[in-house]
Amino acid sequence: MAIAVSDLGTRALNLELYRRMALIRQFEEVAYRCYEAGEIKGTIHASIGQEAVAVGISAALHETDLVFSHHRGHGHALAKGVDPTRLFAELLGRANGVSGGKGGSMHATDTSVGFLGSLAVVGSSIPLAVGVGLAAKVRATGAVAVVFFGDGAINQGVLYESMNLAVIWRLPVLFVCENNGYAISVRSSYATGGAGLVQRALAFGLDARQVDGQSVTRVTELATEVMARVRDGQAALIEAVTYRLVGHSRGDPAHGLYRSKEEVLKWKERDPLTVHAAATDLEESDCATIEEEARREINSALQTSRGYPPPSIGDAMSDVWGP
Amino acid sequence: MTTPAQITYAEAIRRALEAAMTQDDTIILLGQDTALGFPFGVTRGLVDRFGSERVRDTPISEAATMGCGIGASLYGLRPVVEVDFSGFLLLGFDQLVNNAAKLRYMSGGQLRVPLVVRVGQGPLGSFGAQHSQALHGWLANVPGLSVCTPGSPQEAYDLMRWSLRQSDAVIFSEDVRLYRTKGTVEVHDGEVELGARVVRRGSDVTVVVYGHGVGMALDVAGELSREGIDVEVLDLRWVAPLDVAAIGASTRRTGRAICVSDDPLLGGFSATLATAATEQARGSLRAPVARLSGRHAPAPYNADLERSVFPSHASLASAVRVIVGWEGDS
Repeated sequence: MAIAVSDLGTRALNLELYRRMALIRQFEEVAYRCYEAGEIKGTIHASIGQEAVAVGISAALHETDLVFSHHRGHGHALAKGVDPTRLFAELLGRANGVSGGKGGSMHATDTSVGFLGSLAVVGSSIPLAVGVGLAAKVRATGAVAVVFFGDGAINQGVLYESMNLAVIWRLPVLFVCENNGYAISVRSSYATGGAGLVQRALAFGLDARQVDGQSVTRVTELATEVMARVRDGQAALIEAVTYRLVGHSRGDPAHGLYRSKEEVLKWKERDPLTVHAAATDLEESDCATIEEEARREINSALQTSRGYPPPSIGDAMSDVWGP
Repeated sequence: MTTPAQITYAEAIRRALEAAMTQDDTIILLGQDTALGFPFGVTRGLVDRFGSERVRDTPISEAATMGCGIGASLYGLRPVVEVDFSGFLLLGFDQLVNNAAKLRYMSGGQLRVPLVVRVGQGPLGSFGAQHSQALHGWLANVPGLSVCTPGSPQEAYDLMRWSLRQSDAVIFSEDVRLYRTKGTVEVHDGEVELGARVVRRGSDVTVVVYGHGVGMALDVAGELSREGIDVEVLDLRWVAPLDVAAIGASTRRTGRAICVSDDPLLGGFSATLATAATEQARGSLRAPVARLSGRHAPAPYNADLERSVFPSHASLASAVRVIVGWEGDS
């Protein structure tokens, strides 16, 4: 899914970035409807409004780079190349979901495309990326480990232990914070003391920058720029300032509880799809065509995965441990 | 290729690491003072042989170190993470329980976590409550973790070689009371048989035990043989997976069982052992199955108080006498 630097700014790339974001948007909307209808169990966390971060970062990665995500991870999975049908099948708990129906929305993994998985304990996947970076360095594979986390992880101690390890051992790790302003209801600005994440990361010795997370172009450019040095062992952090246009999960509405309607409407004007279309002069008809294709693809993914069989009851006891 | 020698438990682990690292260059060591081999000498000299790329000192960052070990295990390495005392393991518990134990399962079998966590357990002697814990029961309670509990230098060698061939996370529980214990160790590259072992045959009672308790039970058995009591000692070797069948077979044979663990009585691992013995030997029991656990207190500093809290030679001998002399509840 990597792009060439020379493609930056071309119409073909602009359309492709729009297509990738539209696919995630469709997936999230359809998944949410299935969830509300009771077809998807448990809980899901939609990344509507945050698509530019997943797409922009992933556009700068090689296929062999390895990605970890968090509980709001559908977008990262799709952006890394996970098949939407098998991801949907996972959400439906089917045997041929990416994780055999045993992971679900918050623990989807697909090693075949380098998506090493979403983990639901906030901050928990961060040191795993450091370990993958260590293995990449020791084995000289050339791969980079990337970990996405939300602003909720900014005040987890393991983040700083992990940054430090990545710096002292010069590991190829890219830390990506999607700062959507809220850890469920708690404002990041309230929860985070001092000068913020970028300053903290700089103090730890990382190459750290903030970027407009609603602009897929800006995210792609920055990620492409830092990745070259990350691959050489200069760990980096990107704080993408973004916004989820929906609630955290089903328990909370988009606005009314802890965010005002005005605030949400203001961010809707900065919807990453709209922002990208306007900034790159995409025609309305281009966008409509792409969105229609995305709708078709996701609906087909849903229909196909609905036809997949459930796991057998015996699978509850497989993969616990073994040879 | 055998080299029988009298070596310590610590040295046996060191030799197992050295032999395995020679054969498998994906094995790396991560831990505090690992290059120096402090505090018990287990990794002493390995940095000279294998270099600082493979024998890595870490900062005091247990959570990230554990997570880093797990991550590296997902991408072609076989890390051995060292935690000197199980009290410190708690800083890495999120990583261990939520990630190491569950990644294979949650990924539907795509991921493997060939990680070995070396952790010192039990009371070293007046190190106080935070350095003197036995968390075997907690660890055994986590699906996805294997927990091996060597009770002798030979077992330490064998079980470390076994641990370094697994594809899932193994807790290699080192009993800190045993580091200086010497024994004959046959160094080998062979397969290691799973399961518990009867290390002393007896007809009157089975002592179900692991780690430091194995040697203690053998001593007690020797002493009680002079009183005409014939004790069988079953060394579990692993607390997870647990060899329930072996507990049953031995208990059915003797008709009596005493289950020993160092952790506190309430929720302690000896309860799991006692349940296994009771269920497996139903109809063959000549006395109620007994538990000998730690008392429900943190480990005290004062040596006499500390001895009073953990199972001891005296408390085991006394329990054996009571159970063998059992004549009913009246």
